[in-house]
Amino acid sequence: MVGVVVDGAALATLLDQPFMQRALIGGLLTGSLGGLLGSFAVLRQLSFFSDALGHSALLGITLGLLLGINPTLVLVPFAVIFALLVNQLVQRSHLPADALLNIVYSTSLAFAVVALSLLETYRGGIQQLLFGDILGIGWLDLAVIAVLLLGALVYLALSLRAQVLLTLNDDLAGAFGVRANWHRLAFIILLAVVVAVSIKAVGVLLISAFVVIPACAGRLLSRRFPVYMLISGTLGGGCALLGLLVSGLTNLPSGPCVVIVQFAGFMLALLVSQIRCWSPSTAVPAGARTPGAAQAARE
Amino acid sequence: MSSSTATPVLAVQGLTVQRDGLLAVDAVSFQLVRETDTALVGPNGAGKSTVVAALLGLLPRQAGTVLLMGHALGPAGQLPRSVRAQIAYLPQSLALQGRFPLSVAEFVGFGFDPPGPRLPWAGGQRRHGAVQRALERTGCRDLGERLLSELSGGQLKRVLLAFCVVRPRQLLVLDEAQAGLDAPSSEQFHQLLLELRRQEGWTVLQVSHDLEMVRRSCDQVLCLNRRLRCSGAPDHALSPARLAELYGPNVVPYRHEHSHGGRRG
Repeated sequence: MVGVVVDGAALATLLDQPFMQRALIGGLLTGSLGGLLGSFAVLRQLSFFSDALGHSALLGITLGLLLGINPTLVLVPFAVIFALLVNQLVQRSHLPADALLNIVYSTSLAFAVVALSLLETYRGGIQQLLFGDILGIGWLDLAVIAVLLLGALVYLALSLRAQVLLTLNDDLAGAFGVRANWHRLAFIILLAVVVAVSIKAVGVLLISAFVVIPACAGRLLSRRFPVYMLISGTLGGGCALLGLLVSGLTNLPSGPCVVIVQFAGFMLALLVSQIRCWSPSTAVPAGARTPGAAQAARE
Repeated sequence: MSSSTATPVLAVQGLTVQRDGLLAVDAVSFQLVRETDTALVGPNGAGKSTVVAALLGLLPRQAGTVLLMGHALGPAGQLPRSVRAQIAYLPQSLALQGRFPLSVAEFVGFGFDPPGPRLPWAGGQRRHGAVQRALERTGCRDLGERLLSELSGGQLKRVLLAFCVVRPRQLLVLDEAQAGLDAPSSEQFHQLLLELRRQEGWTVLQVSHDLEMVRRSCDQVLCLNRRLRCSGAPDHALSPARLAELYGPNVVPYRHEHSHGGRRG
C-alpha cells in the first residue's frame, strides 16, 4: 500500500502503544458509525447536510472556546440545534436544499474563522480542528462513540421498514403508518450527534467523507438493503483501521490517510460493479444498466 | 346488507384543505361503500391528490371530518394501528435517484409488515410466501431479484401494486396508478382490482385522468375542481355536458362501447 514496505517490528511497536490502540478502536467505531448512517444519508440526499453540519461544528467549537466551556460539551447541543434549524430552513424556504446548505456552511465557517482569529491563546491549532486528531482520542470518547453506535444499530434495525419507506416516498410511508416527521427528525438528530462526536477524531473538513464514501461504495456493491448497510458500515470501519495503520507506519496525517484509503475502497467497488455489469451471468437489462436510465424510462 | 357492509369504508364530510395559504379543496363530501371502485377525476390542479393526501392523514385539514372504517382521522392524521393496517396507498412515483440497493422482493416484504417497530428478519416463511403470491398475482414473478431502480415505469407500478396487495386490506387508494402501463398490464391491473373487490371485499378509490377506463371500470365518479362539481354513476357524471363543465368546452369524450364487466351489477 502506497509504496511502503511494512516493517513487522515497527507495526508491532505501533500496536503496542496505548494511544494507537485507542485510535484504532476509535477509527473502527467512528468509521462504522459513519458508514451505517451514511447508508441512509446518501439515499436521502443528505450528503451535503452532513458536510454543512461538519463545517458548522467549527463554529460550535469556537463558541465553546470563547465562552470558556469545554468545546466537546458545547459541540453536541450546538450540532443538534443547528441541524434542527437548518432542517426548518430547508423545509420552509422553498429554495433548493443544496444552495441553502451552501449558504449555511460557508457562512458558519466564515464566522468560525473570524472568531478563532480573536482567540490568541488557543493552543489546539486550526489544523487539528480541520483534520482531526484521532491519536488524541480518550477512553471516555470511545465509550460515547460505542454507545452511539449501539443506539444507532438498534434504532435502524427496529425502524428499517420505516426508514426505507421514508427514503422512497414520504406519502407512501405516512399512508402505511410510518410517523414520517418523527423519524425524519430522529435521523437528523442522530446524524448531528454522530458528526459532533466524530469531529474530534475526524476533523471538520473530512467528516462528510466518513458518511458519504463508504455508503456510496456499498451502494455500488449491494442488491439487498441489509447487505448494503452491512457493507457501508464494514467498509467505513475497515478503511479507518487500514488508514490509521498506514498513517502510523508512514507518519502521515491520520484523517487524510483514512479518507484516501476510503477513496481507494470506493474505486475498487466501482471497478467491481463495472465488471459485474459487463459479466453475462449478472447482467441486467441494458436499459437499467446506467444510473438514471430506469428513471428516464419512467419519465 | 350486513352491518359491516352498511358502515362506509370511508366517509368524508366537508373536507377543506389549504396548501401554501390557498384553498385547494373546499367542503368536499362523499362516501365509499364496501367493494366499490370510485374514481376521482378533474383537471390538473383540481385538488385530487390533495384530497387523497388529506384523507390518508398526510396533510392537515382546515375543516371537515374523515371516518375510515368508522374511526375518526385525528387532526394530525392519527389512526389506530389496526385501522392503518387496513389501508394501502399506491403513489405516482418513488424517489429512486440512481442505483437504489433494494430488491423488489424486499420492498414488497415491507408491505407485508404491520406498522410499528419490528426486527427486519421477523416474519420468516409466512412473509416470504405472501411476497411470492403478491408477485405472482401482479405479474411480477420474474422481477423479485431485480432492484427497484432497474424497473421501467410500468413494472414499477405493478410492483407497487404487489406491495399494496401483499396482505389483506379493506381500502386501496391509487394515485394515477394505471398511467404508463401498456395494454396487457393495464388489463391485468384492471382484472386484479376486480378480483380484490369481488373475492376479498376491498374498496378502491383511484385518482385518474383516463376517463375511458373510469367509464368502464368504476361504480362511482367524483368530479372535482376544488369543490365537488358532480358525482354519481359514470354515465351520469361523465356526460358530455358535465365533462364540458369540468374540463372546459374543448373536451371531446370518446365512448368505448363494449363492456369489460368491471362494474357491479
